Amino acid sequence: MSLLVVDNVTLRFGGVAALDGVATEIGRGEIRGIIGPNGSGKTTLLNAICGIHRPDAGEIRLDGEKLTGLKPSEIARRGLGRTFQTSQLFRGMTVLENMICGLHRRTTTGLLAAGLRLRSARAEEAETVERARAALDFVGMGAFADRPASALSFGQQRVVEIARTLIGEPKIVLLDEPAVGLSLNRVAEFDALLRRIRDEKGVTLVLVEHVIRLVMEISDRITVLNSGRKIAEGKPVEVRNNPEVIEAYLGKELRARRAAS
Amino acid sequence: MPVFSRRNVLLVLLAGALILPWMGNPYTLFVGTLLFIYVLLAVGLNLLVGYAGQLAFANAAMFGIGAYTTGLLQVRLELPFFAAFPCGAVVATLVGLVISLPALRLSGLYLALTTLAFAQATQWVFLHWENVTFGAGGFKTPLISFAPLPVETPTGLYFLSLLLAVLLTLFAWNVAASRIGRAFVAIRDGEVAAESLGIDLLRYKALAFAMSGFYAGVAGGLYSALLNFVAPEGFDLFQMVLHKAMIVVGGLGSVTGSLLGAGILVFLLEALRAFKGTQEIAFGALLLVFVIFLRGGLVSVLKRNARGWEEPLRLPERRARLLARPGTASVPGE
Repeated sequence: MSLLVVDNVTLRFGGVAALDGVATEIGRGEIRGIIGPNGSGKTTLLNAICGIHRPDAGEIRLDGEKLTGLKPSEIARRGLGRTFQTSQLFRGMTVLENMICGLHRRTTTGLLAAGLRLRSARAEEAETVERARAALDFVGMGAFADRPASALSFGQQRVVEIARTLIGEPKIVLLDEPAVGLSLNRVAEFDALLRRIRDEKGVTLVLVEHVIRLVMEISDRITVLNSGRKIAEGKPVEVRNNPEVIEAYLGKELRARRAAS
Repeated sequence: MPVFSRRNVLLVLLAGALILPWMGNPYTLFVGTLLFIYVLLAVGLNLLVGYAGQLAFANAAMFGIGAYTTGLLQVRLELPFFAAFPCGAVVATLVGLVISLPALRLSGLYLALTTLAFAQATQWVFLHWENVTFGAGGFKTPLISFAPLPVETPTGLYFLSLLLAVLLTLFAWNVAASRIGRAFVAIRDGEVAAESLGIDLLRYKALAFAMSGFYAGVAGGLYSALLNFVAPEGFDLFQMVLHKAMIVVGGLGSVTGSLLGAGILVFLLEALRAFKGTQEIAFGALLLVFVIFLRGGLVSVLKRNARGWEEPLRLPERRARLLARPGTASVPGE
């Protein structure tokens, strides 16, 4: 059974259909790339999946459970993680504290236990700190644990943000343009990191990305959106040679010229 | 641990506070009690505004609701103070919960305006619901008695306020350094990211409003007992500015900062009492100076220049490591 099912999802902003009957199924352990020209609905699709937007029609299911209509925090608690286009680290916290926040849904200490610092609260806190340090080490950021989050470079913030999402052990993570603004060397490192995440943690990844090289290299399958519609889906090679995809990216004329030559 | 660490400095101050009743006069006892009341107000407001980032202006109103509930239950229903006082705190907490409802839809300026409107409406009720609240003139509350304890009322009230201020400050410190405090800060720094990590906005905003309501309610009950008098003008906009000034001067997002701010402003309040009208000017100027030149408040200066004033949003590591090791289940109590 597929892990994530997007079942004919339509989402309108005013009269404009940002998503128009989009349907796809993402398998367990898959790395799925989502590409498309600007404004094609990639981020909107992620937002619909994680509950920021509510679809006008259609349904989204994770592990057979319906997500449509739930709040983003409820969806997150069911095992769906998400990172954003711009860095969303909590700036008033250290790197380590940011990481511990990723464990929020895995912890249970209540107001009184926290306020009275009961033994159960202290034990849980100690365990989360331990796990957060280990998770930082996994992505090679252990040395930065006690720095303020705002002191990290752009690329480092990206990595910490992904680690913060992973630490809560989600079944699936949606990454919105994780490589945007990274140097080429960094993109290669990133590539390796995403593969390690999938291979060692068994997490399914959905990747919206403009850096086409990265998507082509690491995705098992790619979904192509254009004007809110799915125009192609398949292995990277298939998608690369799909005439509709080329047209969406390069325009009709170029395609004609290509065909002529 | 450095000599001038926060813990050492505060312990010395606490020791001073414990012997003050035998050193000072009735006036210092009064100002001391007032200080503890403002510590409660500043700590509660800082949880809501500084930690959770909710720009709310209803703290003076909740302070008033605590005072009025405590006072009126004694006068109208002839409840003893020690029954009326907890009721005041509970009512203020519930009111805080109710105010949190619009906070889920509104933020920033709109939340500020809504809560300000609520505060003005509360003033109006204090003023015009005369059958219950005695209107603009206010009302006298009975002198509270600590019998059978062998203490006079001012001394008893001083120690009661000190006890509650210390306990509730410790409570706030612990909450701030827990997953709850981190959820507050996460909501302040990025609601969308917080939600994507499974942090429920409704739950934690409501909790922050309720906590600040509780702290203000406790402060209100003590205040009514301290003055033996409750009137609307004690809980007006000036009062609100006073609370805001405390947390801005001391440091937003810092329980320690709340203590510093409360100390400085209560001192100024008393120093300027002789010059009516200068208080507003002084507080306004102070607020401006800090907002423009020292955003982090006084506590940020201490954190930069002195060791032992850090306020991490988690359990100090030393204790964490002790607990994490297997077989150390019996850590000495703290």
